[in-house]
Amino acid sequence: MGEETTSLGGIHVSPNAVATIAYHATLQSYGVVGLAPKNLADGIVSTITREPSRGISVQYKEDEIHIDIHVIVEYGTRINSVAESVANTVRFHVEKALGLKVNTVNVHVAGLRISNTD
Amino acid sequence: MAIDTARVEKLRKRTIDGQAFKRLVEAGVTWLRTNQQIVNALNVFPVPDGDTGTNMSLTLQAAWNEIKDSGTHHFGEMAAAFSKGALMGARGNSGVITSQILRGFSRGVHDQKTLTLDAFVKGLNEARDTAYKGVVKPVEGTILTVIKETANGAEAARGSVKDAVELLEMALKAADEAVKNTPEQLPILKQAGVVDSGGKGLFFFLEGMLRHVYGESLETPTMQVQALSAMSLEGALEDVEEGQDYEIVVDFVPNGELDLQGFYAKLEEMGTSIQVGEGEGMYRMHIHVPTENRYVPIDYIMGIGTVTKVAIENLMAQMDDIQKSKSTQIQFGTVEPGNIAVVVVSPGTGISRIFASLGVAAVVAGGQTMNPSTQDILSSFENMPTDKVIILPNNKNIVMAANQAKDVTVKNVQVVPTRTVPQGLAAMLSFDPGGEVAAVAERMLKAMSNVQTGEITVATRSVEIDGVTVKDGQVIALLDGKLVASSDTVEHGLFALLEKAGASEHEIVTLFFGENMTHAEANRFADAVRGKYSNLEVEVQEGGQPHYQFILSIE
Repeated sequence: MGEETTSLGGIHVSPNAVATIAYHATLQSYGVVGLAPKNLADGIVSTITREPSRGISVQYKEDEIHIDIHVIVEYGTRINSVAESVANTVRFHVEKALGLKVNTVNVHVAGLRISNTD
Repeated sequence: MAIDTARVEKLRKRTIDGQAFKRLVEAGVTWLRTNQQIVNALNVFPVPDGDTGTNMSLTLQAAWNEIKDSGTHHFGEMAAAFSKGALMGARGNSGVITSQILRGFSRGVHDQKTLTLDAFVKGLNEARDTAYKGVVKPVEGTILTVIKETANGAEAARGSVKDAVELLEMALKAADEAVKNTPEQLPILKQAGVVDSGGKGLFFFLEGMLRHVYGESLETPTMQVQALSAMSLEGALEDVEEGQDYEIVVDFVPNGELDLQGFYAKLEEMGTSIQVGEGEGMYRMHIHVPTENRYVPIDYIMGIGTVTKVAIENLMAQMDDIQKSKSTQIQFGTVEPGNIAVVVVSPGTGISRIFASLGVAAVVAGGQTMNPSTQDILSSFENMPTDKVIILPNNKNIVMAANQAKDVTVKNVQVVPTRTVPQGLAAMLSFDPGGEVAAVAERMLKAMSNVQTGEITVATRSVEIDGVTVKDGQVIALLDGKLVASSDTVEHGLFALLEKAGASEHEIVTLFFGENMTHAEANRFADAVRGKYSNLEVEVQEGGQPHYQFILSIE
């Protein structure tokens, strides 16, 4: 996937390009305050990164596109709703830009940021 | 409706405690719910957060449920409880932002026994700051901008106002202006010719509070002049009230500018189900009135303009006809215990009938503009003598509700995410009641992609999407949900659609005609299609769906 064949030749979209679209879509989603480096996602996340490829992994498996996103969510929002809207927004923007179907978008909430306590 | 000045004066002097706050937010929640379809209609097609009005309304409803039995008089405590309810019930993007706004507000006022003007301003400022903290890249021209301008407006007005009512008026004025300005900030809104939906929702919530203060009705949707072509007068029949026996429709050209507020106020005295449409200087007014008042609206309108056409219909007689046609029951498939039952969402009686003939066990009414709730779907299968259920939502906006029904029930439910009626029918053809639920659902999912879906409908506003320019009132053609053509006649739209679908390489086309078309008319269109594509087998079926002249299944 990520490839299209036209009469003039093929078009290949690299996973990194997809990750960039996903990155911008994620940061525009309400409730997301940052992305977490995926290799640290299992442990304690201390850094908040702003580089596209970190925190987002895009995989092509045969004809399928799978996107994994590791996010930091604002404390005090309903995490379920935020994650759902991240998945929807990312899918929407990637599909719109690529014209290809995204098979799965997994959102991993790697941590919460507390900016205010009630 | 006029403002009740005596009431406003009384309320101005009243201190705002927890109970007063409760009444205010109840009004806000009610008013948003009343207008939620208006907010939904503002969604820019296609966006990820489907029904903003519904999501916001449900979020605030959940917040309201949290406080509705609370007896506390402490303002801060009541605000905190309201905010907690919103957090727990937040639905969709707009719902999450709303919950953050309320959380900020409640933090700003948490120590207030009664609301002071300073605390009001502080609460709004905290609401603004908290809302902005929730996102890395805030987009202006959205609900965020509206809460920002509302807070700024209230702060600027603080020095010159005497009481909370005045402050609320100023805040609402700022909100209104911010909403109107959103198309200038966000190009996609301008392109679609709408204001931001979330911002408008927030505006309605605040406006409901002020309407409560003014003593104005919260049950009738806000006056709204729609495009003439978008008036759905047929739908108005469904909400006929007792005693409102006559339907009056008057076309007229007003003398000079029409004073809409006064016009509505006058009409509200006469009857119910008021709708006003406008097109090129001509207005159409629709109202339901009691028998003795049937000439009153006509006389009134003659006084303010030139009447060009009048239609009077006896609603009671029409209702009898509708009852008669409804009485022809649909025979659904019976469910054997242990077998799989299929539940479908259907937009029209004709389509329901076809589904029933394919062995569907139950139908939930719903479609493009009336999405059934999770509860509606749930109750359709809860009492069935089997725990294996497959749901076909047949509309992209209903897939989520179907999935929620799946989540809350104990039954073994699979949702086959059909986005259109033809997909649903195609899926139904490979249904096997005796199989394993997951395996059967898998097969149905495969089958649904064998069909292309076309839709012919009328545009309700001017817009440009995917390079197709559409004028309000034009016929538009959609192929698998994407806008592919616009034209001035249904026939041309149909041909353009078939060409885009590559009809010359297909075999069967089924036309499901809508509720406003007769079988004979539909047959004429079918003949035209047969004349152009000799390779196609064209079938005509009664669909009965509203809004869409045709739904096409192309195989």
